[in-house]
Amino acid sequence: MNGAEQVAIEARKQDIRSRWILSAPALIIIFVAAIGPLFVMLLYSFLVKGDYGDVKPWEFSLDGWTSVFFQRDIFDDTLGLADAHISIIWRSIQLSFFTTILTLILGFPTAYFIATRPPHTREIWVFLVTIPFWTNLLIRTFAMQQVIRNEGLLNNALIWLGIIKSPLQIIYTDTANLLGMTYVYLPLMVLPLYASIEKLDFRLVEAGYDLYATRFQVLRKIVIPLVKPGIIAGSILVFIPSLGAYVIPRVLGGGKNMMLGNLIEMQFGAGRNWPLGAAMSITLMILVMVALIVYVRNASRGGSGHV
Amino acid sequence: MTESRTTAAHGGAIGLHGIKKWFGNFQAVDNVTLDIRPNEFFTLLGPSGCGKTTLLRMIAGFEMPTEGQVLLDGADISGLLPNQRPVNTVFQNYALFPHLTVAENIGFGLKMLGRPKAEITSVVNDMLKLVHLDGRGHNPVTQLSGGQQQRVALARALAPRPKVLLLDEPLSALDLKLRKSMQIELKRLQLETGITFVFVTHDQEEALTMSDRIAVMSAGTVRQVGSPWDIYDRPAERFVADFIGETNFLSADVVSVADNRARVRLSSGAEISASFPADVTPSGSVTVVVRPEHARAGAPTDTSALRGVVHDIVYLGTDTHVHVHLDDGSAFMVRQQNARSGHCGFSKGDTVGIDFSDDVAQILRD
Repeated sequence: MNGAEQVAIEARKQDIRSRWILSAPALIIIFVAAIGPLFVMLLYSFLVKGDYGDVKPWEFSLDGWTSVFFQRDIFDDTLGLADAHISIIWRSIQLSFFTTILTLILGFPTAYFIATRPPHTREIWVFLVTIPFWTNLLIRTFAMQQVIRNEGLLNNALIWLGIIKSPLQIIYTDTANLLGMTYVYLPLMVLPLYASIEKLDFRLVEAGYDLYATRFQVLRKIVIPLVKPGIIAGSILVFIPSLGAYVIPRVLGGGKNMMLGNLIEMQFGAGRNWPLGAAMSITLMILVMVALIVYVRNASRGGSGHV
Repeated sequence: MTESRTTAAHGGAIGLHGIKKWFGNFQAVDNVTLDIRPNEFFTLLGPSGCGKTTLLRMIAGFEMPTEGQVLLDGADISGLLPNQRPVNTVFQNYALFPHLTVAENIGFGLKMLGRPKAEITSVVNDMLKLVHLDGRGHNPVTQLSGGQQQRVALARALAPRPKVLLLDEPLSALDLKLRKSMQIELKRLQLETGITFVFVTHDQEEALTMSDRIAVMSAGTVRQVGSPWDIYDRPAERFVADFIGETNFLSADVVSVADNRARVRLSSGAEISASFPADVTPSGSVTVVVRPEHARAGAPTDTSALRGVVHDIVYLGTDTHVHVHLDDGSAFMVRQQNARSGHCGFSKGDTVGIDFSDDVAQILRD
């Protein structure tokens, strides 16, 4: 090894060292605030639950994980499927899926409308879309409760118009959850959709019409493929918080229509089963990751060529 | 290949009758009536904002005329949507679909028309050959050069075999060399396919090179329609004469009119013969135009049509421009071709006589 090489290696080492030092603050935050707590959760999920909540330190057990999907029969101690848990997880997935679809159906025309306004009026529309963010989620959810409850705005209006005789039972059903989540998460769909529709070259739409495409074909063959990044981003932004929703099902769904978020909260609260809560939290995270991978894979297939 | 060319050899005739188009308070097109013949290479030429693109968009169906009718082979198509008109457009910036391949772009129109897959494939292959892009069908269009994208745009618009092809300044984004070769290419495609081409440009050279006929537009109206020769050599009015090429304006008095020639007296006192637009009978004082290359400068003689002093000499390689101050104070330019190398024979301050042959002067309408 000659001298020059040694100097070069030394310089590279110096370089690497200074990079580590420079990125240390960010790394510390990530470890303390994100990865650290995850490891705590992972550890807790393998511990034995404490008698009054908490866990028994360093007593390991797989009970937390098995009780995510299974439960022991009280009388004969056999292992059976935890129907309640599975139905709640399944409901969460379904509701999140339909919320995503519903926000997409409502958000796409909205975003398209905004993107096709003259530039200076677009800003006003975007501003209007973001207004709900000024208010706390809890307050917005209570507002929704006021609209859909039995003596609420919607039912009173429908009765007054003579469309229905007795109030519709919307509150404390899955429909209420769906309506609430759609309302709360709609801006998260509209904004990324708008961002990508706004970038759409509308001469391509004209070219489509010129080449004998109908309105529907222009939408399906030109607009949707080109704004796909916005559709993917919006769907991800809506699906993830929907899956972990807590406040909305708590206020609108009542006790019967729990979602995964409420089930997890229960384990840390009244249920006094922290390992189960931890295992469920990680299950939720895995669900989100699997959904993301499946979705992004499917969505990016077929849309070759464009970046 | 040959089959597709012969079956496509039918161009449609476009009739524009009394077209007016308002955008709010702005009138983009004012009472335009034009007849574009089948199989013709027809150019709408004018400065930006003259309404030529609006006119094209009304033929395509993207804009509806406020008044007037658009006819295709005699049938009124004013009420039809763009996707109902057998007319295709080559857009200014090509507007290729970035998420599709070259072949998918070219086949798009046929696919939307619901043609069978086999037919689409064979037409797309023909088109790829026609525009010299064989074997590039599977490339994404985003990876092509500007000239190649241009040719894909052409092939895409030609593939459904429209009766009329509309071209909206398609060459403006290309560099000079590519533009020249595409001009020849476009003319070849028009002859081979037999489709009527309606071409929009602000570039007079493009218009003169390719067109069968040209309509010169200004401020929403058509100023003159004619062959490139008509437009260049027999401009009917000042705008046309000024917009196309360089020209000299001379004031003159009409002495006599016989058949379709007039005798006019120039300010120098010399009398020359001049032609005039068919729809006017010249009288009194008129403006006469003479193209710089139609005039010759030389030593002044008694018979010289004009006399003046050389003010500037500009050497341009192929030509030399001799700028002359005429005796009546106006400016005149003579363009001499540099047939031999060496100096043009004049220098600044020389007194020269200017002559031109009898058939080059044209009286303007105003």
